[in-house]
Amino acid sequence: MAGHDILGPVAALAAWSMVMWVWMYATRIPAMQKQKIDAKGLVGTTGRTLDDALPAEVQWKAHNYNHLMEQPTVFYAVALALAIGGQGDGLNTQLAWAYVALRVVHSLVQATINRVMLRFAIFAVASLALVALCINAFMAFVIV
Amino acid sequence: MIDYSLLAPGAVLALWTLVMLLWLAGTRFPAMAKSGMDVKTAQPGGRGQDLEQVLPASVNWKSHNYTHLLDQPTLFYAVIIFLTLAGGVTQTTLGLAWAYTGLRVVHSVYQATINQVMVRFSIFVLSTICLLALNVMAVIATLG
Repeated sequence: MAGHDILGPVAALAAWSMVMWVWMYATRIPAMQKQKIDAKGLVGTTGRTLDDALPAEVQWKAHNYNHLMEQPTVFYAVALALAIGGQGDGLNTQLAWAYVALRVVHSLVQATINRVMLRFAIFAVASLALVALCINAFMAFVIV
Repeated sequence: MIDYSLLAPGAVLALWTLVMLLWLAGTRFPAMAKSGMDVKTAQPGGRGQDLEQVLPASVNWKSHNYTHLLDQPTLFYAVIIFLTLAGGVTQTTLGLAWAYTGLRVVHSVYQATINQVMVRFSIFVLSTICLLALNVMAVIATLG
């Protein structure tokens, strides 16, 4: 379909978010068992409560999963709008793939070494790709 | 032929979100430098929310609003996409969507500068009423 290629990177980032979800639990549940935290007795706590209880590297996976529920929601909105408007191909699709690839690298860095400056640099470059997509959507739907 | 005009307020709000990201960065980094923090030697894994008790409140307000823009507006994007795909683009939905975007921009500027809670809350309630009306119309448009 013409103008719909951008749905590829949309699907890829959504799938990647689910990979991070699996990684989060695959590390969190064993860490909770090791700390002898019995989830059956917990009332009203949230994942954030574990920031004080589990090793930082375990929580880094959760931090990144939450991160993927933040800015990428704007990416999904803009990409879907571009696809509906038949503008989801060419440069827009390349920008979208760049955004998704950078977010995957960002996830891997945050979940493992998590050096703040490196993580920030990747986030900043990814944000620039999203800024470009937003400007293109602005030109497509507001300026017309 | 699909009417794309309801995507315009979405494109504007997405772009505005990234303007807030730039405002956040433009105030956070000078404030970090002033407080003598060196990101290069920061502990691995540090996050924006760790700056909460460290930087002046008015610096963190920009960040609070950026995060706020990644909360409720995600519903707004979904609703305007539903309305666009279901043929729900009318003068009423267009007016409500532009009102929502306009109020959210005012809400951002207010939260980032003066930030009196009652005023901020009032703007938020007004914008939420617009979203609620749009959401009801989206339910009608998609079920009908």
